[in-house]
Amino acid sequence: MGSSLRIENIDAGYGAVTVLSNVAVDVRDGETVVMLGTNGNGKSTLMRCITGEVVPTKGRIIAEIDGVTHDLAGRPTEAIVDLGICLVPEGRRLFPKLTVEENLLLGAFRKAARPKISDNLAFCFDAFPRLAERKNQLAGSMSGGEQQMLALARALMASPRILLVDEPSVGLAPILVARMIDKIAELKAALGLTVLMAEQNFEQATRIADRGYVLVHGQVALAANNIADLRESDVVRKLYLGLD
Amino acid sequence: MVNWDLLSNALVSGVLLGGFYCAVAVGITIAFGMLDIVNIAHPAFIMMGAFIAYFFNTSYGVDPLLACIVAAPFAYFGGRLMYRLYYLAFERHGEESLQGLAFFFGLLFIIEVGLLLIFGVDYRFVEARYIGPSIQLGFVSIPWRLLLPTIVGLAMVGAVALFNAKTFTGRAILAVSQDPGALRLVGGNPVHIKEVAFGISIATAIVAGALLIIIQPVEPSIGRDFIGRVFAICVLGGMTSLPGTVIAAMLLGIAETLTTTYLGPSWSPAISFGILLLTLGVRPAGILGR
Repeated sequence: MGSSLRIENIDAGYGAVTVLSNVAVDVRDGETVVMLGTNGNGKSTLMRCITGEVVPTKGRIIAEIDGVTHDLAGRPTEAIVDLGICLVPEGRRLFPKLTVEENLLLGAFRKAARPKISDNLAFCFDAFPRLAERKNQLAGSMSGGEQQMLALARALMASPRILLVDEPSVGLAPILVARMIDKIAELKAALGLTVLMAEQNFEQATRIADRGYVLVHGQVALAANNIADLRESDVVRKLYLGLD
Repeated sequence: MVNWDLLSNALVSGVLLGGFYCAVAVGITIAFGMLDIVNIAHPAFIMMGAFIAYFFNTSYGVDPLLACIVAAPFAYFGGRLMYRLYYLAFERHGEESLQGLAFFFGLLFIIEVGLLLIFGVDYRFVEARYIGPSIQLGFVSIPWRLLLPTIVGLAMVGAVALFNAKTFTGRAILAVSQDPGALRLVGGNPVHIKEVAFGISIATAIVAGALLIIIQPVEPSIGRDFIGRVFAICVLGGMTSLPGTVIAAMLLGIAETLTTTYLGPSWSPAISFGILLLTLGVRPAGILGR
């Protein structure tokens, strides 16, 4: 049974400021789709629309999970998470004064994840041995790389079907960025996830993506069906390589 | 020359008083420490519990503790309703810091005046088999009316700690004030979680009220004496820490009985505010603060 996400021509913003206009994005079952774009182009707003933190003023967001179609518009965040759509947020949003283990256990708050809590915890400690070593340490006292691991592991504790990852590279050293991206690919394959990732780092993100979109000024400037098209495109050359 | 008899009796009474303070303060550790709700009316709910115990004890001969244990679930739902109101009126608009404080301040006086109108200004007490007898250990005497509240107080803190460590709701209570948005991202509803936690907090206050009237006769306005104590214990313990609450409650209990024994009872109300100021000046994170 599959899980897919379809964002149909949404407009969204904050108060009078419109950030996204007419954005359409498709994530098919088992794909890793990357949303590229530099700062301030609406990647995080798009993620926040999917999780219900921002309500689109126009358009629909449709999730299909195990053959059941859900219209996400207007649902509260916790109801969307309950469907198995989980976000690794930008800036990690950990509970800094709780331990690593307490953060992970909270990740399994979603009802469908509760019976699997001990299996999922063992899986996360296996995938990130560093977190097992530090399970009694406060999340806020860990390094940026460790916190990013914890944010990813906490999302996995929810047994997600669709994993949203917002800027996993922010604040990490280049070597850690590469490892984090590899880890996302590895976990996605192991758990059979469908992944939508927002990322600025073109080279790293495209290593693991099947397809990609480029968001410029809140609009989809390019929807590429493969990575080669993305690399060759004028938009990307202009945005990332500084070539006119 | 140290009078060991006097000192050991004072220390034992201090520990027993500390156990009772656990019951009084655990609700504030939840509301103020974990939820960021400055429920200054908490002692008024303790008084309400004391008068529930008094009413059922004098009218129907019910055991005071039993009366409040039966009343606790009603208090839990009352507390949930109160948080709902507080959320809709203040917290939702981000106006809880000042208006919310005024709300609880008002509630404190409404409850106090309500109790005064119903029960009057006289000191009231309850009757039960365990009020009176003592256990004699060497030259230390342990009165049952102090031992029972200690046991119940420690059991209450233990139950809340177990709930917070072992249940999903409990763990969410520890997380909710750190980042309500992040709690939504793991599938929890912060408003619901805070509502449940506040309900638990009010339920503990009602039970603490029974313990208070078992220890000493009460009249409605003595609740105010506990405002300084509960906040001092919460801050000294480290705000969110339940083991910290127990340690801080014991320290305050011992400090108060030693002061009463050696300097006289008139100094004892100054102890809690002294401890509060000292903690904020020397170690603002408290004993077991994270």
